[in-house]
Amino acid sequence: MMPAIKAAGLVKSFGHGQRALDDVSLHVYSGEVLVVMGPSGSGKSTLIRTFNGLESIDEGHLEVLGIPLDADHDERQIRRVRRRVGMVFQQFNLFPHLSILDNITLAPIRVQRRPRKEAENRAIELLTQMGIAEQASKYPAQLSGGQQQRVAITRALALNPEVMLFDEPTSALDPERVKEVLDAMRSLAKDGMTMVVVTHEMGFAREVADRVLFMDEGRVVEVSQPDQLDKSKRWQRMASWGGQH
Amino acid sequence: MQPGPSAFKRLKRQLLANPLDGLITVVVLALLGWATISTLHWLVFGADWRVVSQNLPLYAFGSYPADQRWRPFLWIALLITLTLLTLLGPSRGWIRKALPLVWIAMVPCGVVLLAGGFGLLPIPSHAWGGLTLTLLLTACSGVLALPLGILLALGRQTSLAIIQRSCAVYIDVMRAVPLIAVLFFGQLLIPLFLPMHLELNRVLRAVLAFALFLAAYIAEDVRGGLQAIPRTQREAAAVLGLSPQQTLWLVVLPQAMRTALPALTNQAVGLLQNTSLMAILGLVELLGISLSLLANPDFIGRYLEVYIWLAGVYWLVCTAMALLARHLEHQLSPQTSAN
Repeated sequence: MMPAIKAAGLVKSFGHGQRALDDVSLHVYSGEVLVVMGPSGSGKSTLIRTFNGLESIDEGHLEVLGIPLDADHDERQIRRVRRRVGMVFQQFNLFPHLSILDNITLAPIRVQRRPRKEAENRAIELLTQMGIAEQASKYPAQLSGGQQQRVAITRALALNPEVMLFDEPTSALDPERVKEVLDAMRSLAKDGMTMVVVTHEMGFAREVADRVLFMDEGRVVEVSQPDQLDKSKRWQRMASWGGQH
Repeated sequence: MQPGPSAFKRLKRQLLANPLDGLITVVVLALLGWATISTLHWLVFGADWRVVSQNLPLYAFGSYPADQRWRPFLWIALLITLTLLTLLGPSRGWIRKALPLVWIAMVPCGVVLLAGGFGLLPIPSHAWGGLTLTLLLTACSGVLALPLGILLALGRQTSLAIIQRSCAVYIDVMRAVPLIAVLFFGQLLIPLFLPMHLELNRVLRAVLAFALFLAAYIAEDVRGGLQAIPRTQREAAAVLGLSPQQTLWLVVLPQAMRTALPALTNQAVGLLQNTSLMAILGLVELLGISLSLLANPDFIGRYLEVYIWLAGVYWLVCTAMALLARHLEHQLSPQTSAN
């Protein structure tokens, strides 16, 4: 398997001295689902945000889909990466002034220069797979959180990305809405998408992940296969907190 | 629940609870009644409305040549039609889609109709006047000031220190100077700075002064709108591969303008009323023409009639603007109206 993301010795500090990333090395292979877990402030969001240039690294070597994103990368490299890497945020970040359909077709039309008709057909097709095709003409504020997050996933998928990054995609959802989003991610994983998922959802990690990576204080402290998770002290501690903290 | 008796009871409880309250209620009612009756009496019997009724074309068009008055008349008629069409017309279809463009086209259309050219007899700007000039000043200044204000607001947010500083200084200076001073500057000083052969007419100078002044205020309103947009919106646009320019045009500005719209409406209504300052500087717009009518021996001392009439006209135009703005706000926020 080819590594889609190669990271070696990543270091990132935010002003006040403490290191958000402290010598992080990892590979994410093509077609793999990597789940990143860890307490708040452990650097997992920062890590995933370096993979598409939302955060820049201070030291180390980072390569995404063969494009280097080292400390001295420029804007062009970031845009080349972003064209091939999709991202889903905790707060959905849909554009409130655009309809669902326009949210999804904006980038295909403006960035990939696809004809509007074709982009809209593709968007409807994806929305149908997500089970929310009937919402296409509505606006984000009219949808539930779970529906909005599925639209956000659709919006990222519309660009046909090779890698999908999920930054706590279910943390802002009502508990009864979590499942519909996780189901959408599950079927994405089944289709062979390369995914990096920051989440606290233990069931999803056990069932879907190829590997689970634990972070603490900016360091990778453990990498487990799903079937070894029960032996992991960190996993047991998380389970005793009910999977949330 | 029966509203009739209960409302009456509530009124009775609130207004006539004890003798003192009753007395106050009676006195206030008597005063109100007396004021209303004497105002009405004056309006119908006391006032001499000839100062208004005999001069309606002057209020509307100023001293525009009588045989060419159809031109400003046509422009105002178009504006009224467009207003009614916007407020009461169909809510979808090609008419609705064409409206924004038609509205913008009204500005050059008004200038051409008034100034002449394109086969129309040229009329010099000193003959423009009345409500027509008031509306033209407002429309032209507003249309110039809006893009200028947006540019200033964006300039204030750039990372280029020199642009950022100069925009901030411009805004601060303009906001620290009274409008009348800027207008004086426009009328008296701009001609001194320009080369002899380049002569701007007075209306254009007024429009420039208004636009330069208003742009500073619009910039602050737009900045408020820009700051209301969370950083995550830019991030979301960035990860989709949109360029910074695309992010600005497609994601940031549409939302910022929607947030700034109520404040911008305020500026537009204020602008319309502020054009009356040009009466002091010799333009015969709505207030200017009224002042010259009051100087006419036939109508000497008819201040009350003229100013009540003026108040009525300004009120009507401002109300129309406010209604249009509310309509626009409604159009721009479909997700709340459709809910």
